[in-house]
Amino acid sequence: MNTPMATVAMDDQFAQGLPQRLFVRTMVNLRTSFTWAWLDTKCQYRRSRIGPLWETINVAVMVSGLALVTSGLFGGNIGDLIGYIGLGIIIWSAISTLVIEGCSTFVRNTGQILSSNISIDLYVGRTVSKALIIFAHHLALYLVGLVFGLVPLTWISALAIPGILLLFLNGSFVVTILAFICARYRDLELIIRNLLQVAFMVTPVFWNYQLIGAHRKFIVDYNILFYFVQIVRLPLLGEVPSAQIYLVAIGTTVVTFFVAVLTYYKMRRRLAFFL
Amino acid sequence: MSHISLKNAGVQLPIYDSHSLRLLRLPSFGRAKVGTQAVSHAGSTMIIHALSDVSLELADGDRVCLIGSNGAGKTTLLRLLAGIYAPTSGSIGVEGKVYAMLGNNMLLNNDATGYENIQLIANLYHWPKGKMADFIRDIEEFTELGEYLSLPVRIYSAGMQARLAFAMGTAHTPDILLVDEGIGAGDAHFQQQAQDRIHRFLGTARIIVLASHSVELCRKICTKAILLSKGREVFFGDIEEAFRLYSEPVN
Repeated sequence: MNTPMATVAMDDQFAQGLPQRLFVRTMVNLRTSFTWAWLDTKCQYRRSRIGPLWETINVAVMVSGLALVTSGLFGGNIGDLIGYIGLGIIIWSAISTLVIEGCSTFVRNTGQILSSNISIDLYVGRTVSKALIIFAHHLALYLVGLVFGLVPLTWISALAIPGILLLFLNGSFVVTILAFICARYRDLELIIRNLLQVAFMVTPVFWNYQLIGAHRKFIVDYNILFYFVQIVRLPLLGEVPSAQIYLVAIGTTVVTFFVAVLTYYKMRRRLAFFL
Repeated sequence: MSHISLKNAGVQLPIYDSHSLRLLRLPSFGRAKVGTQAVSHAGSTMIIHALSDVSLELADGDRVCLIGSNGAGKTTLLRLLAGIYAPTSGSIGVEGKVYAMLGNNMLLNNDATGYENIQLIANLYHWPKGKMADFIRDIEEFTELGEYLSLPVRIYSAGMQARLAFAMGTAHTPDILLVDEGIGAGDAHFQQQAQDRIHRFLGTARIIVLASHSVELCRKICTKAILLSKGREVFFGDIEEAFRLYSEPVN
């Protein structure tokens, strides 16, 4: 649509689309949107006895199943595999929550966006915070793994914290992009859901990346999602991620940031028209 | 000082359909009658002329109601003022803190209690933390909901929800209040209370824009009116004059 857009003198509703300020706003809104997501979580606990922990149980069941199958297929001790696979699935579920919830962030809140004038960044922040809260629930499984000695605890484990921050920072930009694009093109959410299933198989989440044949190594080397899995998983397994892994993850975050800025710039004014 | 200024502002709503993706040709709105005053084409997308050429100047103390038949553009104009829609032609300038209450306040979390929802709105609209106790007391007094405030909002009747939403919209006095039929849901007692509250609220000289089909309500709250018809501004000025024009048969 090429309808000319008039200039707006409105103080911050649309002027806030100024690209360079997106990052600052993301940080400023952090607390507000986290409180919002926290209330959602509280209400979830109220309606079901263990609330979001059901999802954690799903993760635990899935990890056990996959560990059983993988050890059968590729050999290896199930005790060694379960730490690798478990952490992989926990991180993957964060990625998948961010992507799936990201797609529906604006569409799901159509009524609220059209009837109130709070900043739309808060909806993005709510989605990201919710994913973070669910991720924190899943980390309970990590603690169980620690107790049973399935994963080591060393100083290197602390390196997972910047990894998690990077994962969710990149996640918040990805959510911004997906939220806008999926509000405009409704078919995309379904396509992305499909792709995500394929990505789960293709990414070394539950299978060992070292076992892949040389002629298929590109599946691992060019898979950006794998790098994000590794920046969190490797430290928790007691390994320091290589500089290459960090460079790819940071580089990707910079790129998604600028794509988010561009998306915001191109689509912010028309968002309400999409809904 | 709060101020609203619209200069020839218009909103054209595109109707997006799957054609924009053009993967498959599926039945669409292609056969709708176009080329009329209300609908036109831009490429493959249909455009609804929801609002055209509206010019307004509102300043502190202005209490304006929007009148017009269904589909006249009242909600579109409120959304434009709230910054939900960007103008597709002309320009808009809004100075002051806006609180938009369009429809029942959808931001309420139905599983959370009344008190939790007050905290939620306070959080989302950045109410000053130090004055929270005052806000809560004020809302308790106005809504008269008593122990219901400790129960989940989902069990409230429509009127009770309207009370809570209205109380929150006016607790931390915004500079500009935009209301769309929100007050209509309450009983007579609530309507009276809402009017009192708005009058008190106006003691601090702010702008209110209210869309309502209730002539009585408009008369009690507002002094000016904007008469809309088919997305165009027919009249802006004295409320009685606007109602006289509105009641005239359209020719």
